[in-house]
Amino acid sequence: MNVQFRLKAAVLSALMFIVFVVLWHGLTFQQSHETEGIPLTSEQSALLKASGMSESDMQAYAAKGLVFEQIQQIAGLGLSSADIDAAGGIESFGFTTGGAAEEAKTGFPSPSLVWEEAYEQIRDPFYDKGPNDKGIGIQLKYSLLRVGAGFLLAVLVSIPAGFLIGMSPLVNLAFTPFVQILKPISPLAWLPVALYIIKDSEKASIFVIFVCSIWPMLLNTAFGVASVKRDYINIARTLELSKFRTALTVILPAAAPTIFTGMKISIGIAWLVIVAAEMVIGGIGMGYFVWNEWNGLNLASMIFAIFVIGIVGLLLDFVIGRLIAVTDYKE
Amino acid sequence: MKYYVRAELLKKSFPSHDRSSGEYVVFENLSLGLKKGEFTTCIGHSGCGKSTILNIFAGLEKPTQGGSFVGNRSIDRPGLDRAVVFQNHSLLPWLSTLKNVMFAVRARWPEWSGAEVEKHSRRYLKLVGLEGSVSRKPFQLSGGMRQRVGIARAFAIKADLLLMDEPFGALDALTRGVIQDELIRLWSKTDQTVFMITHDIDEAILLSDRILLMTNGPKATVAESVVIDIPRPRDRATIIHHPNYYPIRNHLVEFLVKRSKQLSPEAGTDSCSADQVKDKPSLIFPPEVRPQQETTTSVPEAAH
Amino acid sequence: MNLTNDPFDPNIDLWNECGERSQSEEAAPTSIADFVISPKEKETQAFLSKRKFATGDPGSVTQRALENSVMKGIFGDDLSRRRFLKAVGASTAYTAISSLIPFHSLQAMVDDAMKKIEKKDLKIGFVPITCATPIIGGHALDFFKKYGLNVDIIKTAGWAVARDKCMNGEYDASHLLAPMPAAMSLGLGSASQDWRMVTNVNTNGQAIVLANKHKDKNDPKLWKGFKFGVPFEYSMHNLLLRLYVAEHGIDPDKDIQIRVIPPPEMVANLRAENVDGYLAPDPFNQRAVYDGVGFIHKLTKDIWDQHPCCCFGISQKFIDENPNTFIVLLTAILDATNTVELRQNRVAFAEAMSPRNYLNQPSAVLKQILTGIYPDGLGNIKNVPDRISFMPYPAQSMGVWILSQMKRWGYISKDIDFKSASDEIFLSTETESAMKAMSEKNRNVKWSDIPASKYPVYDVYGKEFDPGKVIEYIDSFEIKRS
Repeated sequence: MNVQFRLKAAVLSALMFIVFVVLWHGLTFQQSHETEGIPLTSEQSALLKASGMSESDMQAYAAKGLVFEQIQQIAGLGLSSADIDAAGGIESFGFTTGGAAEEAKTGFPSPSLVWEEAYEQIRDPFYDKGPNDKGIGIQLKYSLLRVGAGFLLAVLVSIPAGFLIGMSPLVNLAFTPFVQILKPISPLAWLPVALYIIKDSEKASIFVIFVCSIWPMLLNTAFGVASVKRDYINIARTLELSKFRTALTVILPAAAPTIFTGMKISIGIAWLVIVAAEMVIGGIGMGYFVWNEWNGLNLASMIFAIFVIGIVGLLLDFVIGRLIAVTDYKE
Repeated sequence: MKYYVRAELLKKSFPSHDRSSGEYVVFENLSLGLKKGEFTTCIGHSGCGKSTILNIFAGLEKPTQGGSFVGNRSIDRPGLDRAVVFQNHSLLPWLSTLKNVMFAVRARWPEWSGAEVEKHSRRYLKLVGLEGSVSRKPFQLSGGMRQRVGIARAFAIKADLLLMDEPFGALDALTRGVIQDELIRLWSKTDQTVFMITHDIDEAILLSDRILLMTNGPKATVAESVVIDIPRPRDRATIIHHPNYYPIRNHLVEFLVKRSKQLSPEAGTDSCSADQVKDKPSLIFPPEVRPQQETTTSVPEAAH
Repeated sequence: MNLTNDPFDPNIDLWNECGERSQSEEAAPTSIADFVISPKEKETQAFLSKRKFATGDPGSVTQRALENSVMKGIFGDDLSRRRFLKAVGASTAYTAISSLIPFHSLQAMVDDAMKKIEKKDLKIGFVPITCATPIIGGHALDFFKKYGLNVDIIKTAGWAVARDKCMNGEYDASHLLAPMPAAMSLGLGSASQDWRMVTNVNTNGQAIVLANKHKDKNDPKLWKGFKFGVPFEYSMHNLLLRLYVAEHGIDPDKDIQIRVIPPPEMVANLRAENVDGYLAPDPFNQRAVYDGVGFIHKLTKDIWDQHPCCCFGISQKFIDENPNTFIVLLTAILDATNTVELRQNRVAFAEAMSPRNYLNQPSAVLKQILTGIYPDGLGNIKNVPDRISFMPYPAQSMGVWILSQMKRWGYISKDIDFKSASDEIFLSTETESAMKAMSEKNRNVKWSDIPASKYPVYDVYGKEFDPGKVIEYIDSFEIKRS
């Protein structure tokens, strides 16, 4: 592809991203509300004093923007300002400025808030503050290890099995009903079953990855092997190659691009599924990270995590894409 | 037996799609022979089963009945004693030119070292003029170059029998001429027996010692074996001036245009092997024909 | 060590790990006299059998452990211990020894156990809710370290996963819902494995939250067709919600829909209007107010004051294999529970539990919950100091009540002996000993929740619950499944 053309596409991508961020910013922007004190009348002060509130406390509440009725309610509780502060401070009680500040605090996060969160995480990706709070880098490492293990197992099973199915129409026909029934099952449906049988959440999540990545690879391998040109096989036959050598030196390279395409689909699904599985199982990993932030209803962190998941997915796709490019051939 | 490679009473049939007729017989009681070291071509209309015969020799297909032999060995599977140049070149597209040839050479002599394999392969690529393109992949080569790689690969394994299925079918006339010359040059250096299928009469005359003529299918047979009495080396520019050239050519044209149809059993006329007994066919090889200047009489089983 | 051997039995070998009856001292009888049981021996037998069946429950694991260690300390070897017991008789020996040594010093037992911890590195699961404060805050404020335990607490996504990880052996112990050890032991909703309810990690502390659009529907009678979330089927939340709506004439199986939603997803579901309300653990009740999506309709303390909720659960297998670790772990949990029950410590716990490693919540929300000074989402500020309490004693009556409700709603279909099932699952005796041990060590440690009887009578939403009259209690409800 022409360099200039690529450059144009890149500029267009950047433009779209900027528009997206600007729109996002515009929609989430909140004007900060300055709290304005409403002075208490002397009557009101007297009333509050009668219910046992100190002069300094009532002035402090008024200065924070509380109206008389609200201050009166606090006075009715018979609590000192120290008690209120111990309970998180009056600001956290939800009626400081009529609820507007509250909206800003818990509404959808702005891009700058997400960036702050992202910066915090990226600055120190490998921190370890106990089993339930680890840096994004460590979380990623665990997710990738699980995906890697499950995916590798799936490769070890599905490629030989795919060869068998692809090379033998009989096996193909015999396998078809099982493949067709098992393929559409959501991998997450396996999770409780796996947890029950395997009795180990780590292995169960690897098993789920295994189950979800096996089908695309199996089917693509079988298809790739079955559709290797007759001519290539004939070359091998005229050269008296053994079945094994034929599979290795002729069928494998001929079917490689199709097999890798299956792998590309598989790794994409595996990455989708690991996040979901970790959200259910917890412990550690990107899914756990998202779940933990959801648990704290920390949207900014979750959005950051979503970006990270997307980018890692892109990289995984790119790596397998390179493998396809290397093994691909033109006829 | 004077024929080194033989097909004896071959029959090839397929279950017919049309239920009433039972089976579709491509050919039946077909016998032919190739002499050792000879270059034999086979000409016939499409559908007469030429390629099937070649595949049976290659061991890639099995006849419904009958057998085929190289020397005393019966052919029942493909083997390294027979090299095939396929119609569509059939190179492995993920391997470079050199690797494609090496792939075959290594299979032929597994005990050779890598260096030996490569040296041998390079020599044959050089013979077909591709020493400059050894690292290119097949898709980077022109059709002619690809077919040369196929030829180099076939010759490189030094098979007794070289089987070529319309190797030049997809090439333009100019390229075809160049490669034909190369093929003859290569062949003349060896004592390999060649069986080639073609549609091109001039090509057949230029290259062959003998030309087998096939009648139309279904139930095709080899009608005759035309001996090309033109001395080698032949030159494409001067060969047409040889006195036997036109008689041979005319004979071939006449056969393809008229007789191939008439001789077909489907046309109602008796086949060339007319005296065969219905239930116990005897082994009769196609009669030799020597079209010559002035006299175009056939001399069956002429002494050599 | 077999802790059930009575150290006052002269016929066993206390030093022998298996506690087998010793043969060496009991040579074959050689004369008629040998067959005559001496009065001392008779007296010893009577004393021992009395100890075995006494109401004071000397069979308690902890009590025995204590006595064992004291006797071993006095006699040094088994021969001299047995000679002494045979010579003076067990009951005399008991009186003599207990006058010398403060036998009631249960703390000695804990100290002894701390020296013999079988397993130092422990994994304890928790679901990130304030109910688990003694576990979470206990970890954050180093209560486990204090007792020489190296504990990792692992956050768990929901109760089903917590149960599976417990049964898989991934956790040594876990924060569980109070009815879960019973459900797990009975094999309800899972395979059956013996789990024990050791302490209440909290009492009270739950609430019914409704979406803001239902601000005008404070009467449960108006809730027909509502969808409610509860954290788990075998939870106090489910049982209390069912009881509450049923008392208002709403059939929880027909008039409303109850869905299981993991606690952290409660607020999101309320915001998305997938549910009209929920009975859930904090912080998700207060968080709904904080996020402006719901209001607190009722605290569960107003349904049943000091009701159990979540517990510290441990498998019988773990107790059998690690009796000392169990005692130390129990003590550490009790210490944390007692500390957080004190008002002056609540803010410190709230702050310690706020980070991502623990509850991952704004500290203000946690402070509102633990101090009990909070906005209810309807514009009021409430001051309810016992909104959440930490009363560890797992009274058998609580177990019986839970089983009664599980029976009432058809979770348990077969007839069970409520008391013995609860006896086995609720370890009140062990926990009581450990609680008393702490009080002995430190006079300031006071427990207000140890009842006079193991089977106290409760007032549950205005109705008396007598664990002796379970069937009558179940039958007294109009809406029920059994």
